[in-house]
Amino acid sequence: MKHVFFLDGQEIPFIPGQNVLEAAIAAGKDQQIPYFCFHPALGSLGACRQCAVKIYAHDSKHPPRITMACLLPASDALQLATLEDDVHTEHREIIELLMTNHPLDCPVCDEGGQCHLQDMTVQTGHSVRHYSGPKRTYRNQDLGPLVYQEMNRCITCYRCVRFYQDAAQGEDFGVFGSRNRVSFGRLEDGPLESPFSGNLVEVCPTGVFTDKVFRHDYVRVWDLQQGPSVCPHCAVGCNTTPGARLGTLRRIRNRIRPEINGHFLCDRGRYAFPYVTANSRPLQPRLMGETTRQDAVLRQLASRLEEGRSGFLGSPREDLQSNLGLFALADCLHAPFAAVTSSWAEALAQQCLALPQAPSLQEVAAADRIVVIGDLDSIAPMAGFAVRQALRQGAALTVLASSRTELAQKGDYRPLRPSALRDQVAQLADDPCLQGGRFPVLLATAETLGPSGLYALRKTLEKLPANARAGAFVNRPNLFGAAYFAADGHTERLQQALRQRKINHLLCLGADPLGEDWGAGTWRTLAPGLDGLTLLDMVDSETARSAETLIPVAAFPERAGLFVNYEGRIQAFSPVYRREAQVLHSAVHGSGFPEAAGGVKHPLGPPPPLFWLGRLAEMLHLHEAWQKRLDFYLHFLCPERPDPEGPGVLLPDTIRARFEIAAVPAARAVTPEQWELDIFRWYGGETLADMADELHSLAPARGLRVHPNVQAAAATLHGPCGELRLPVIACAEMVQGVIAIDQEGFAELGLYPGDPVEVSWEQRQ
Amino acid sequence: MRVWRNISELGAGLWTTLRQLGRTSTVSYPEEPLNLPPRWRGRPVLTRDPDGDERCVACQLCSAVCPTRCIELQAGERPDTRRYPLTFRINFSRCIFCGLCEEACPTLAIQLLDEFAFSKEHHADFIYEKEALLIDGTGKHPHYNFYRHSGVALQGKDKGEGINEKAPVNVRSNLP
Ligand code: SF4
Ligand code: SF4
Ligand code: SF4
Ligand code: SF4
Ligand code: FES
Repeated sequence: MKHVFFLDGQEIPFIPGQNVLEAAIAAGKDQQIPYFCFHPALGSLGACRQCAVKIYAHDSKHPPRITMACLLPASDALQLATLEDDVHTEHREIIELLMTNHPLDCPVCDEGGQCHLQDMTVQTGHSVRHYSGPKRTYRNQDLGPLVYQEMNRCITCYRCVRFYQDAAQGEDFGVFGSRNRVSFGRLEDGPLESPFSGNLVEVCPTGVFTDKVFRHDYVRVWDLQQGPSVCPHCAVGCNTTPGARLGTLRRIRNRIRPEINGHFLCDRGRYAFPYVTANSRPLQPRLMGETTRQDAVLRQLASRLEEGRSGFLGSPREDLQSNLGLFALADCLHAPFAAVTSSWAEALAQQCLALPQAPSLQEVAAADRIVVIGDLDSIAPMAGFAVRQALRQGAALTVLASSRTELAQKGDYRPLRPSALRDQVAQLADDPCLQGGRFPVLLATAETLGPSGLYALRKTLEKLPANARAGAFVNRPNLFGAAYFAADGHTERLQQALRQRKINHLLCLGADPLGEDWGAGTWRTLAPGLDGLTLLDMVDSETARSAETLIPVAAFPERAGLFVNYEGRIQAFSPVYRREAQVLHSAVHGSGFPEAAGGVKHPLGPPPPLFWLGRLAEMLHLHEAWQKRLDFYLHFLCPERPDPEGPGVLLPDTIRARFEIAAVPAARAVTPEQWELDIFRWYGGETLADMADELHSLAPARGLRVHPNVQAAAATLHGPCGELRLPVIACAEMVQGVIAIDQEGFAELGLYPGDPVEVSWEQRQ
Repeated sequence: MRVWRNISELGAGLWTTLRQLGRTSTVSYPEEPLNLPPRWRGRPVLTRDPDGDERCVACQLCSAVCPTRCIELQAGERPDTRRYPLTFRINFSRCIFCGLCEEACPTLAIQLLDEFAFSKEHHADFIYEKEALLIDGTGKHPHYNFYRHSGVALQGKDKGEGINEKAPVNVRSNLP
């Protein structure tokens, strides 16, 4: 049955359980009801008294009365009115009260042009302030490099605390003071600690919290070029709206996608974008370190490929079509191809893909039994956010990890060494933590659990009730896309070809085999056999610095593409702006006006990888064959092209099924006396994100994180591919016998999480 | 009757013309200077506040309202977080002297002063950069300084020191 109520005589449909305001907003009728404290994701509070409507009783005994729409449950045949004088007066007077102390800031306020308060003030017609007394002022706090506070502008809607404390469950932000002196911030100045702090910018309906990174290179929203994009910083694939002007990217905002990120983004997704404007970003092709012209580089590369001694290396950091393009080219040339840099990562990708359909984040938030394996917040923060939403609904959370992470503090924490995770996961089916639930969900950080752990997870899932779901996360946007090519032994075959000198040239796409990718240690030992390495990439990585040929490519907001997220959801993104070849960061110089405005015409910035690959195929007279293969694979993977504005399409199950038989490498045995390694990450850390200065300034120090009972100042770890000497950081949260290091460290040592390691401690002087 | 009325109206018109005989209202511009009214709309300039600092806060309202889209600017930030236009340019081969920018400007920075006749050899020369637009005076409004009214703090102006402001709130106090 269709439910409707009447607002000014118009039918408004609603779903039972919605309130009147929610239904009116959903029906696009919010022009009639101004509001502040209500937020679709944070619910109603009734604090601002702005959303007045007049309710008519069905009988003649009760006179009509004014009430708050956000607190009024929608019910059938309700008769409501807003187009009446007393309702208007209420709207105008309440907003005048809220505006009593509002400063004259609009021209210098970054919210201007996208300000809910501006919109509501104009909408209600409040234009002249009757109060002429002195205004209240506040001192601002320094909340770190990401969020800027200007407390004078507050209208006390409490959205910020409700977001920070209730939704994001952060602890370092709150409301202070009393009566009309309340203030919202931290106890002391200092960076906000929550991985979701950037959402304050979008949640606050006024200019109290604004984007501090955007502030340095500000432009009004009406001058921004915006478009639908997908976050390239982890496997969740949150939907974003990048905003650019004059050929440079200025900011990232959330794009509402109920199935995934809803109304929010994590700080990595919001603040990692300056990799696009970084001064170190390669923009011109480089041959032996010298800037060269496009055609010269292409000619050199084509003759290189003609020799027939090239190998191809794709990357889970690059989008689906680019990887497919590379794969198709390798296929045409009958050259070895690998999508990931090590056999371990290959097995990991296969096991991820073999897991049955993962739950969407919307579903995770509805789970009532959750098991989290590893430090989820640091890999895929929005997945951690979804877990917090489930916790608010009373879900029972169990965390299996080698350190007491923030999520672990909110649930039942089981400290475990990484090597013990697999056995623990294998026994989860009979574990009390998953019993009695309606909808159990298991979320793992793939790298901590490892391929054999993921296999155990799949087996456990088979024993659980049919509706139990599991998801595995990495901090790469397209592991599932790359995993599709990660057929058994491809990486090994590529390395073998290099070892046997069958190939002497490597064409890499977005990979960093000589830097921090998994297995980089092995690649480094193989590097002397390489006569040249060509890299197509958008960041200045270790590999980019040592590559013989470096071909710059367009960053993700500058091109179209497809990412396959952790659910196997294929999402499309569109080009938002055209980058020019020159860095136009206004902080550097401001001569970036487009030609039409009297500016200089700059050559265009780097093209996407597919352009380069297509040109190469052309020069090798393979274009037709290449295009045919590319179209074929693409059609096979996603017969239905997803719409960038839509929810994406899920990978067909038949593709998963192929990976169920993939071999699982045995995990290395570890004895309790041995030290073992776990991976340490933080929520803002990722290859691209590390190029973003503001975000990166919050990164924790590099070191070996161990339990404080280790009395050492530094230590050297010995691995098969090298040694690593780092200072020791005592960390009370760590399990004994475990050393947590970053991915770079693993790459240097040639080891993987859960591996035993030789340590030589250096005592404190 | 009709005929007479037409003739008398013709006569009135002729009389108006005849009355002007002997008077000169033509100014031999440009040899003679024009006496322009103060609200004359010539080309826009950027003015300074009474303290000598530039008024424009790079709010982009003028560029948004301009019907010929001839204003283009990029905001910059000073070390004390004060906003200013890093670059500001007006393409005078497109400007129609309509004055909408002046009307929109919340800081009274952009003002249409009396220069209206200027010619150039090339179109490109009509694109005036900030250096050519920013004058040294306050223009038509000698007293207004936006920052004295706004709530933001700057170097030399703390919270509560603006016009009509109370001293900053003590948020640690729970006293009623
Ligand atoms: S700071 Fe913003 S979100 Fe928080 S109460 Fe004030 S206006 Fe509302
Ligand atoms: S959770 Fe992942 S995909 Fe979502 S915004 Fe953060 S980094 Fe991007
Ligand atoms: S006077 Fe009119 S046309 Fe000229 S800059 Fe101002 S708004 Fe634009
Ligand atoms: S409207 Fe005034 S303050 Fe705003 S950018 Fe234009 S000149 Fe500057
Ligand atoms: S939105 Fe209803 S009272 Fe604030």
